[in-house]
Amino acid sequence: MRTLIPLAVSIAACCYIPLALADDASVTISSPADGAKLSWTEQTKINYEVMPGSKGDHVHLYVDDKETSVLRQLKGSHTLETLKPGKHEICIKIVSKGHTPIGVQQCVKVTVE
Amino acid sequence: MDLQNLGYAVTQVVHNFGAATVVGGAAFMLLTAPQPASMQRKFAWLTGFGWGAQVLSGMGFGAISHYYYGKFPDIHDIAIAALVIKVLCAMSGLAVIALYLHYADGWAERQRHVAWQILFALGGTALTAAAFLRWFS
Repeated sequence: MRTLIPLAVSIAACCYIPLALADDASVTISSPADGAKLSWTEQTKINYEVMPGSKGDHVHLYVDDKETSVLRQLKGSHTLETLKPGKHEICIKIVSKGHTPIGVQQCVKVTVE
Repeated sequence: MDLQNLGYAVTQVVHNFGAATVVGGAAFMLLTAPQPASMQRKFAWLTGFGWGAQVLSGMGFGAISHYYYGKFPDIHDIAIAALVIKVLCAMSGLAVIALYLHYADGWAERQRHVAWQILFALGGTALTAAAFLRWFS
């Protein structure tokens, strides 16, 4: 019993710590800025930085709620396919190893002219 | 230890052994043919368990995601096509195994050989689709 109690406490602590760190996840899209107006003749580059936290693994990129790319770099830039003129929403969502969004994301709305 | 990662890892172990069994079992029967009918029957059961493990562990990946995040994995386009191919292979593989176990006693050796060729093709196709599912998700 003397051995089992410290063992149980250790296991509980090991299981608890990752849960406590889950809130550290974040996504920052540095460009384009929210509300930016873009030219349809030029390719759009998205610059981002991701802190995956304990539950995140990589990120999925969405344009108008449709997944367009899997980004395995946590910091960098990605060139989007040419966007049609009009309003669009670009989102980056952190996903788990099992490709499930963990609920941490950032979206920017842009207008392509 | 993260229980979610442990869940994924254990499920992946079952999935990997299932894949090895469905391809390896059929390959062994083809490479060492003709095996006695009793041995082929044992391998048919083994391959059937392999396909069963593939199906259950595949569902397990989705179940773990749903348990922790309330939603299934977010996959699109090529990944969905690869998943559909895997599911069709698994259903076909289980169907061929069921036919084999029920009727193969009355089959000629040539017919059994064709059944193992089909099972090998299904296993190989599923394994190939798995790679696309993995890297296009």
